[in-house]
Amino acid sequence: MTSCENTRESIGRWLDGELSAAESEAVRGHVSACAVCDETRRQLEKIGATLKSVLATEAARVELTPFWREVQSRINRKRAWYEDLLDWSRGLLAAPRVAWAVPTVIALLLGLFSLDSYWPGWRIRGSRNSFAAVDSIDAHGRSVALLRENETKTTVIWLYEDQEGENETAEEASKSGPAF
Amino acid sequence: MKRLKKLLSLVLLFSLASVAAAASGGAAEKTPQSVQVRIRTILAGNKSDEFDAKLKDMEAQLKPLKYRSYRSLKDDGQSVPWQGTRTFEIPGGRSLTVAPQEFQNNRVALKVRLTEGEKPVLDTTVRITNKGSFILGGPPHEGGTLVLSISAAAQ
Amino acid sequence: MTDWELVQKCQAGETSAFQELVSRYHQKVYMVILGLLRHREDALEVAQETFFRAYRKINSFQGGSSFYTWIYRIAVNISIDAQRRHKRNPLDFRESMDGVLEAQDEVVRDPFSDVHDRELRENLVKAINELTPEHKAVIVLRTIEGLSYKDIGEILGCSEGTVMSRLHYARKKLQDKLSDFL
Repeated sequence: MTSCENTRESIGRWLDGELSAAESEAVRGHVSACAVCDETRRQLEKIGATLKSVLATEAARVELTPFWREVQSRINRKRAWYEDLLDWSRGLLAAPRVAWAVPTVIALLLGLFSLDSYWPGWRIRGSRNSFAAVDSIDAHGRSVALLRENETKTTVIWLYEDQEGENETAEEASKSGPAF
Repeated sequence: MKRLKKLLSLVLLFSLASVAAAASGGAAEKTPQSVQVRIRTILAGNKSDEFDAKLKDMEAQLKPLKYRSYRSLKDDGQSVPWQGTRTFEIPGGRSLTVAPQEFQNNRVALKVRLTEGEKPVLDTTVRITNKGSFILGGPPHEGGTLVLSISAAAQ
Repeated sequence: MTDWELVQKCQAGETSAFQELVSRYHQKVYMVILGLLRHREDALEVAQETFFRAYRKINSFQGGSSFYTWIYRIAVNISIDAQRRHKRNPLDFRESMDGVLEAQDEVVRDPFSDVHDRELRENLVKAINELTPEHKAVIVLRTIEGLSYKDIGEILGCSEGTVMSRLHYARKKLQDKLSDFL
């Protein structure tokens, strides 16, 4: 025999016709023998019937002719260009959709930025980050130049022969180091 | 709407999985076992207009140095363990010691020392993009100038 | 003629076919919307907008679902949008629905009308108003139209399980609030 607790959970579905034949029979049997559950059934049916009655009575007052006339005038009315755009954007930006889209876009962007872990160096060659970074440099008293060549994004560390290089003539200086 | 939700949830799941996988590597990135270091020794000069065909792939990098000739002298590659060192012989009694330090943000940090005999000439720590390179040049040799292309690839 | 046949005629350009569809469903759609929005004027305006949008989108209806689940989906979506845009004082609800109830009494004009019944209707309207839009939607669609959980789920974009649990919750709430009047 189905318990009252189980039946009360299922009465709504039973009244809605959403139980299997076997389940439905079990509930029907219990309800017919249990005053408490039968009262629950009665109350649910009363709620439903009253709600339907209230709204149906009101809906019966809506006449077709004026209703259709208004719908027709909307159909025939020329809409401003921005109204279609507003409708479209309203649909696009409705909260449930935005709730999905926003974290998805964020996660997608994060995923893209994380692609480096799977395909290191996938970035287009020649991007700004290709330059080698010089953390420290010690030329032990010699002159040294740190150069960056933009076209190939190449870092160049150039050692000058010795400190006497300061006394070189311009011509000699140009031969001892890169021109850029 | 249901189909869209399914698609979006798949995309979201995939993206989150990517992020999670990347993040778990993250700051404590999965360290490769060793680094393949390649040193190409080039002699640059102004006595001729020769351009060594072996250096064709480096033409764009070398041209801005504005020498008239470039000749490949050596092309050495060695696998170097992390925190380990390897020394490469450089013409003119020099040597280049390379010590990979760490791998982070797809960059290999290399400690590099150039010595002439026993005397250190240059000490530098450079972070190069994985499989990238930098140029160290200037030491004179046989009437020209040595240009070293140093590249590193984490393995 | 079936709904689908009417839709096909409409897609072919016959506005009279759409008028027939309006004739079949305008009151039912209005009932659902009134249950969600509570204000007569708003409900009428939204019902007309529902059919207008259905007309504009008629070519997108491919018969995958029934016409009524499709039109109710449009109606529920517009109602939810309207609820968000037009947030009114809760007292307005009682005023407008009091008007509905008075009008119904005028029509009935039965001196022996059950006072108890009137109290039930008034308190039912108030109790429905206190439900969340999601719970209101399932109870209205199930009660007015007797739609299956599957159809309701399609209209609201949720699973049958969700429909079932929302209905159970809504009915329990209404039972608790209306126990003195049932």
